[in-house]
Amino acid sequence: MKKNYNLILLLGFLIPALGFGQVTPKVWYDGNSRAMFYRDALSGNLKDQDTTSTRSEGEGYTAIDLGMHFTPNSEIEIFSEIRIKNDFGFMWGSGSSVDLRRLSIKGILDERISFNIGDLYLRQTDFTLNNNRQELAKYEPSVFQAYRDLIEYENFYYKNYWRMQGIQSNLSYSFYNNIKSLELDGFLSRVRGGEWLGQPELLMLGGTSVLKLENNISFKLNHVNSFEVQSSSLDSATYYNPVTNLQLSYRKKISGLDYKLSIEAGASTRGWESTKSFEHPKITGSFIKGVLKIKSSLLTSHITLNYVDPNFRSAGAQTRRVEYNSAPSTYAYYTNNTILRPVSLLDITTDPNIYNQRLSTSLMNYNPLYNAVSPYGESTPNRNGLKYSFSYDNSKTIQAKGDFGFFNEVIGQGTLKKRSFFAGGANVLVKVDELLNLKNKTTAEFSFNSENVRRGGYELESINFNSSLISAGASYELFKNLKLIAGLKSFVGKGNEVGTERNNYDEIIGYDLYNYDSQESIMLIGLQYNFTNDIYFSLQTNKIEITDKIDDINRLSLSRVYFMFNMNL
Amino acid sequence: MKIIKIIIPYLAFFFISCEKEGIEGPNLNDLYGDLTIVQGLEVIGDSTDFSNNESLFFTASFSKIVDWSISIVGQNSGSTKIISGKSNSINEENSSWNGGVTTLPFFQVENCSVVLSFSNHNDSIFKTLNIVSSKTYGNGQELLISDFESGFNPNFTSFFQTTCSKSIETGGAGQKERYLSQEGTCDWDWLIGYIDYPTSHWLQQGVLSADPDNVFFNMMIYGDSTLSPTNEANSLFKLEFYEDENQDDYYNPNNEDRLDYEFHVDWNGWKMISIRYSDLILATDPSGGGTGGNAIREPNKIIKIRTLLLANPTSGFAKADVDYLIWSEGSPILEQ
Repeated sequence: MKKNYNLILLLGFLIPALGFGQVTPKVWYDGNSRAMFYRDALSGNLKDQDTTSTRSEGEGYTAIDLGMHFTPNSEIEIFSEIRIKNDFGFMWGSGSSVDLRRLSIKGILDERISFNIGDLYLRQTDFTLNNNRQELAKYEPSVFQAYRDLIEYENFYYKNYWRMQGIQSNLSYSFYNNIKSLELDGFLSRVRGGEWLGQPELLMLGGTSVLKLENNISFKLNHVNSFEVQSSSLDSATYYNPVTNLQLSYRKKISGLDYKLSIEAGASTRGWESTKSFEHPKITGSFIKGVLKIKSSLLTSHITLNYVDPNFRSAGAQTRRVEYNSAPSTYAYYTNNTILRPVSLLDITTDPNIYNQRLSTSLMNYNPLYNAVSPYGESTPNRNGLKYSFSYDNSKTIQAKGDFGFFNEVIGQGTLKKRSFFAGGANVLVKVDELLNLKNKTTAEFSFNSENVRRGGYELESINFNSSLISAGASYELFKNLKLIAGLKSFVGKGNEVGTERNNYDEIIGYDLYNYDSQESIMLIGLQYNFTNDIYFSLQTNKIEITDKIDDINRLSLSRVYFMFNMNL
Repeated sequence: MKIIKIIIPYLAFFFISCEKEGIEGPNLNDLYGDLTIVQGLEVIGDSTDFSNNESLFFTASFSKIVDWSISIVGQNSGSTKIISGKSNSINEENSSWNGGVTTLPFFQVENCSVVLSFSNHNDSIFKTLNIVSSKTYGNGQELLISDFESGFNPNFTSFFQTTCSKSIETGGAGQKERYLSQEGTCDWDWLIGYIDYPTSHWLQQGVLSADPDNVFFNMMIYGDSTLSPTNEANSLFKLEFYEDENQDDYYNPNNEDRLDYEFHVDWNGWKMISIRYSDLILATDPSGGGTGGNAIREPNKIIKIRTLLLANPTSGFAKADVDYLIWSEGSPILEQ
């Protein structure tokens, strides 16, 4: 605590001091504020059977993230964000904390080169650096916004960007000939710091160059290299993983429709430099993706062909958000055997503490029950297939979006037979008040996601797995800005799948045979008051059910009261 | 638009053809599949003549890759040969047998029982085979010191404590029929007894190679710790090699080398001890004369070998029978 207060004092003195030598320095503030409270209570049969867990549990806090922007001149901005947090149930400073949440300096050199030092949000392409969305969140109805905002904000998720620390710079030039413009962007980030007697430092170096031509053709070259620094550790082996991606796109308008063809291809190498004679495995893999985008005034369609080699590895693009090895916040240990409760739909939807914020140098574990088709996003290794997606926006009454895709494995896992995959989903948002000419704002939202995995062969090889997630949400404006909200997420997974066990080199060394017959649901009903779009409170009650017909011990039934006040300044 | 029309079919063709043959990771069937014997165990070349450097092999095939083991046990000698592998078929490449042993004694002319078994599976297949002529060890460069088949050579001098003994025994030998038994209890001295094997009285006469890296001393030792009062290894065996560096038919501890090697006899049954001459340790005891010579290991100048059986006087009984003392060149005798 003392350290934190010292930090605030230091910043308090330092920031004004920085402005003394400057012309018309400005300081301005923004930030976020949140108050959150929840209480869970066991219900159903588990309440009687589980005599070791508490009947109810909960927690809450208020937090203010105060952002200070200091601009000593028109070319430099210093930004810091300090979190002051107070957990409910403590007094006089106990349970309170002050943390530095973000610190960065950005500026422009000679009106040409911009730079950013400190906390950065970085993203390149789906294959080089990309923060893939978590499972069971696609087409999520907006009534779950309170949970979603909490997870994304607490884990520094912004769209598909990864939050890292380092330095970034970019510049662009415009030309007056066949070349329209040239943009260059580079960064160096420190993904993992030094550890005493531990792993070496992990750095990521990357760059992008974009060349746009006058004839609607553009080229883009992306490169990232994640590597460990040998001299920073006593380890004899250090990891490296360069990934290169070349993109070509062509845009043309024909008969009132916008066409855009994008083709990207690239390759990765993943290995370890060794100071000893021991040979570590080194693998190289490639990918290619082609996308045709067709856009009309109401409908936008994408047709995608995608191939990812089984040996393609990209730490920046294959790191997952959900950490299945973590302990959930809600009833982490349950049943009379006090076993660790596995991460489920409940935790993925509501718990920020099961999420990962750092790039992983190996393929992270995943649960095929929740994501069997693309656990590592577009860059999931060993996939080859076709996808179609669309979005329809009649902004007055109906918005719809959806996709479906068929994929195959490039090489069989443990057998010559290859899996075939289907994944599809859709979301429809209907503005009922506009459609039926109602006075009060009323919306209804419906989403559906389905996954299917098949593999032929004899009994041991054969896979037949289906899962579906049905989500719905509705809101009715009782009076101005106060809405009655209701929502449902219902997940069903049934069939068998074969999971993989991998060693430190990501090589498959064994399999786990899974049988699923699981049903999970979250129902919510409550009130939401919107002061503005970014300032709202939500008070709701949830009913959570987890039923596993294969393993009865994985049964959970909870009732929850949840309150959140969220304010983004 | 023309470009798009050309590119799209090529892209589609590329994606359709992007498939790889083979398997990623271990075979699922090998890890979780049931084991089925596709082709039973067969002995190819039964009754082969091992003494003529001939060999036999086994054949079988299974429904999955599995850890298998073939155990061949001599019905008279009790000697054992284990051949093991990990595959879905047994063939000449992975099961060839030239009559050698894994566990002593040597195979004799006898019938053998053969058992094929698998790890993590209860299935076993039984067979028999016949040895019409047992394997002869050596590559022509070996020198046999003694196998005690003609009794104890009186020119091998020895000393045993009054409460200890040595004797030639018949039956249960490591090689052929007879061996030298050594045992006893001595509660006042570490020494149970020793035997000197002078070069001039070795069963086969010849000159060993001068290259100490190429010369191996081999001998069979029978240990039986179950006979000790504590059921623990109680016998300490020591080997001493005396070099006559100036070739005057006399070992002088003041100016010639002695090389030693010692080990606990901590096993039950017969075991072949093979020591590379260059691994021997120069004796450092001045009274033994270890520091007196040129400190160069010269197997071609050996004048005498002494074997000593030792035991802690406080721990009682010790036993270490010996058989088949032989020099080999190039590799240990069991590998020839």
